[in-house]
Amino acid sequence: MKGDVYIASSTDKEVLEKAECGGVVTSLLKFALESKRADAVLAVKARDGNRYDGTPVLISQPDKVIETAGTLHCTSPNIARYVKEYTDGASDLKIAVVVKPCDAKAIIELAKRTQVKMDNLILIGLNCTGTLPSVKAKKMMKEVFGIDPTDVVAEDIDDDRLVITLADGTQKEKTLMELEEQEYGRRENCRRCETNIPTMADIACGKWGTSDKGTTFVEACTEKGANFIDAAISAGCISIRQPNPEAVQLRRKKDDAAIQSAKQWQERDFSSLKQMSSDERFEYWFGQFERCIKCYGCRDACPICYCKDCNLEADRGLVPPGEVPPDIMFPMVRITHVMDSCVNCGQCQDVCAMELPLSRLIFMLNRDLYDIFKYEPGVDIGQLPPLRTVTEQELSLSGVDVAF
Amino acid sequence: MSIEYAPTICPYCSCGCGIYLVVEDGKIIGQEPWKEHPINEGANCPKGKNAYAFLYSKDRLKNPLIKKNGTFRKASWDEALGLIVSKLKEATPETFGTLGSGKTSNEESYLLQKFVRVVMGTNTIEYVGRLCHSSAVAALLPAVGSGVMQTSQPEIELADCIFLAGVNIMETFPMIARRIFRAKAKGAKVIYSDPRKTATARYLADIHLPLKAGTDVALVNAMMSIILAEGLEDKEFITSRTADFEQVRDFLCQVDLKQAEAITGVSLEKIREAAITFAKAERSCILYDQGICQHTVGADNVKVHADLALLTGNIGKPGTGVNSMRGQISGEGTGDMGCLAVFYPGFKRVGEEAAKFFEDAWGVSNLPTKPGLTYIDMLYKCSHLYIVGTDPMMAVPDVNNLRKALKKANFIVVQDIFLTEIGKLAHVVLPAATWVEREGTHTYVDRRVQKIEKVIEPPGEAKPDWWIVCQLAERMGYKDKFNFSSAGEIFEEIRRCVPQYKGITYERLKRTPGGIHWPCPSENHPGTPTMFLEKFNTADGLGHFQVVGFKPPDEIPEDEYPYVLTTGRSIFHYHTGTMTLRTPKLVDEVSHGFVEVNPEDATKVGVKNKDMVTLETRRGSIEAEVKVTDQVPPGLLFIPFHFPDSCANVLTNPALDPSCKCAETKVCAVKMEVKK
Repeated sequence: MKGDVYIASSTDKEVLEKAECGGVVTSLLKFALESKRADAVLAVKARDGNRYDGTPVLISQPDKVIETAGTLHCTSPNIARYVKEYTDGASDLKIAVVVKPCDAKAIIELAKRTQVKMDNLILIGLNCTGTLPSVKAKKMMKEVFGIDPTDVVAEDIDDDRLVITLADGTQKEKTLMELEEQEYGRRENCRRCETNIPTMADIACGKWGTSDKGTTFVEACTEKGANFIDAAISAGCISIRQPNPEAVQLRRKKDDAAIQSAKQWQERDFSSLKQMSSDERFEYWFGQFERCIKCYGCRDACPICYCKDCNLEADRGLVPPGEVPPDIMFPMVRITHVMDSCVNCGQCQDVCAMELPLSRLIFMLNRDLYDIFKYEPGVDIGQLPPLRTVTEQELSLSGVDVAF
Repeated sequence: MSIEYAPTICPYCSCGCGIYLVVEDGKIIGQEPWKEHPINEGANCPKGKNAYAFLYSKDRLKNPLIKKNGTFRKASWDEALGLIVSKLKEATPETFGTLGSGKTSNEESYLLQKFVRVVMGTNTIEYVGRLCHSSAVAALLPAVGSGVMQTSQPEIELADCIFLAGVNIMETFPMIARRIFRAKAKGAKVIYSDPRKTATARYLADIHLPLKAGTDVALVNAMMSIILAEGLEDKEFITSRTADFEQVRDFLCQVDLKQAEAITGVSLEKIREAAITFAKAERSCILYDQGICQHTVGADNVKVHADLALLTGNIGKPGTGVNSMRGQISGEGTGDMGCLAVFYPGFKRVGEEAAKFFEDAWGVSNLPTKPGLTYIDMLYKCSHLYIVGTDPMMAVPDVNNLRKALKKANFIVVQDIFLTEIGKLAHVVLPAATWVEREGTHTYVDRRVQKIEKVIEPPGEAKPDWWIVCQLAERMGYKDKFNFSSAGEIFEEIRRCVPQYKGITYERLKRTPGGIHWPCPSENHPGTPTMFLEKFNTADGLGHFQVVGFKPPDEIPEDEYPYVLTTGRSIFHYHTGTMTLRTPKLVDEVSHGFVEVNPEDATKVGVKNKDMVTLETRRGSIEAEVKVTDQVPPGLLFIPFHFPDSCANVLTNPALDPSCKCAETKVCAVKMEVKK
């Protein structure tokens, strides 16, 4: 039932060999297809075996699922966008989707906007303490770790350390702090992210709370997830045992530590912006937006942006067409339309041609809005975003101070 | 349902940014960021974000067309090729001319020049590099031995000072502008010479030098004179790595700075600030393009910038150099492959020696040993023209005159993806496959060779350019010399004939995102991001100073034509508009041509925003919509050259730089009147 936790591992020998941490996710995906609970599986695969280049793959044959086994840290494909754009929001396809917390949150936000048919999805979540930008990660492997990036066979982030495993079995590690001070390490949004265990997904899987390498800590986060796990256990796809209280506590402790670290990053990234006077803020942000070349990269990458006939399109008349940088309405509208529901996935900043600190700004505003509306994006499908639910009365409140 | 993310490279400028095309059952349904690509790391400019729409434009050429009584009718390949062969057999080496393309693959460009030289016996093969980059080659061959970009794109971030010589880089190469912003964040200073106050001037430049169009030589000579006076030249570098310094020093000592101020219109104070900033930086990097090249003194302009780099020791190390920004995906590659009247592949200068080398390599005899006709000459003089993937009716100055000449040509074949302006004048039109409809390599701005995979089938009967050339060669009786069944086989021949490409293989390119920089002499060589680390490619290995005095543009304003007209590009469109004007999102941004007019001039003429004006030069007139803006100073008008409805090159001056035959499309005298 919902809330149940297990220490689990795959029963499939082939999966156990290839996958990390007991191969539970791979086996659950195989089971989803074999049991016809899903028509397809959406997961990430290293393209041509390249760990720095993961692409989403939609798989319908159970024996192909193994190609997605193993964890990739140096890639950040846009899973929610894939579901929205390329499967028509799972309108007539049942899909088991492997999600990081931000992917799960974005999918839930899309569902609130009726862009995704949640009944057709089962979200299999992965614990996540961050991903690394691939080009910088390769540079980091060379310059900081002194290794050929193609020699890496595994990365792991645990206890604030990045551990690299090479083909010959040797391991190298550095603290995240050390790397991130040199502008390497995790993507900027990931450093600020407080959601490490995807409890908003149907199932949350991760190694926190396990003591040996060959197992995964699994939590059934919804009834749908619990039913799915029960069926997988009955079918003999995974074997389970109950975690002892120490394991549960260890998992919580690791989560808490990661949350603390994220809060520190938020403080560090936001405080300098918030300390500015309002004139300084205008100067700083308008200075940033002056570099905008109107590529629409941020809008298109935003997993929760969905309007087919976007107000910002050149033919809509809101923003004068053909100008670079575009009128200030362009970034303003972009930001105000999504800031109440930003899930801090960082996709906008990843693709910004001019490297504007978009995710930093939008997530900062989102946290301010949280303080006002207590709306936490991407968690509860029943809770609608403030822009949808705001009342006339609330709009006329004075003293609403959103930092911008 | 089968959905695949297919990696490819953007089809627009020469940065060579990666993108993923999302392909469902053989059709492209979207595109996604390719974050692992080292050039753009997942970001793209507006054109790159709209990379594939043109492929599906309804008016793609799908069948060969033959003109009969002034109208085109569909024909089979057999019939069209048969007709072409019968006409080519009438042509002589003197009457046959070919234009290649900066957009076809290296394999296709290589094959095309081989056809022209082996089958048609002439070196009259050119491409649009003649109209934008030939000045750079003419200047840099004597200076440093090669006209190529000298540093790699990522290395630009190492520079402490970046001198943008006439490059509106925020609009024309936004992904390089991004690197300059990165350099700025680390403290680098940006100098920008351009008559216009563009986005680059307003948001990227620290020092904007708004010189009068065509006065670059005076500007840079003044800068160098100041550097010498201040003792900021790199004496050790000059001694160890250069020659001919004394002449330049003696010349620069005579430069009258007050006169330079008057010629350029830039205050001496600003020139001094730029000079000192450039000279004092640890690494200074010059980026330039058509802004300085498309002049009757284009080669001179490049020479003075090369002098500036040599004088300050800013060449031959990463993040420095005199770097040409090539406009097209394979603007570099098509030149490398020998689509130039003076070069066989690998920049082997046309002559007995090169002909002998390729006679041996290709197993043929009697290859031409005399240079062919250059681009514009060819169009006016040849009776039989073969035009591949380029539109001279948009790109060449004085197109009205060119139209008259082309109407007299006996036979014109145009091979392209749409019926372009030149296509309309053709006798036979051949439909080509493009970009991801065939496989092949392109060589991007920094000598970066990248592979394009075939992702979708070409439309209708369209065929890859290399296939078409092989078919023609076979029908001309040269099957054994053109017996290729794939682009890969052609690339293997390139590797044997072009030493710079020897170590590059399809297999290596497939597993190297971002590709490999030539020269790459062997399969275990990593490629060469930076040129001239040890020595220059000149005969003595030294960098040579060249003395250059200022000469005014060919045509200057006078009573009847009181304005200066300059031309250039918009971020939302690409060159002759063939692709971007068929991309709805980009057309929504800018749908037609316009002329930028300073508010003062607008008042003088009595026009306001969106009014139509008639622009007239000695060569012709066009109509254009007015855009009132202080982006241009009083007296200067600017037109982008993308739009057939306001074709800038009806107006421009065909006067050539005598040293390289590049035309002066950047300056002419023009009259502006309210449209009657």
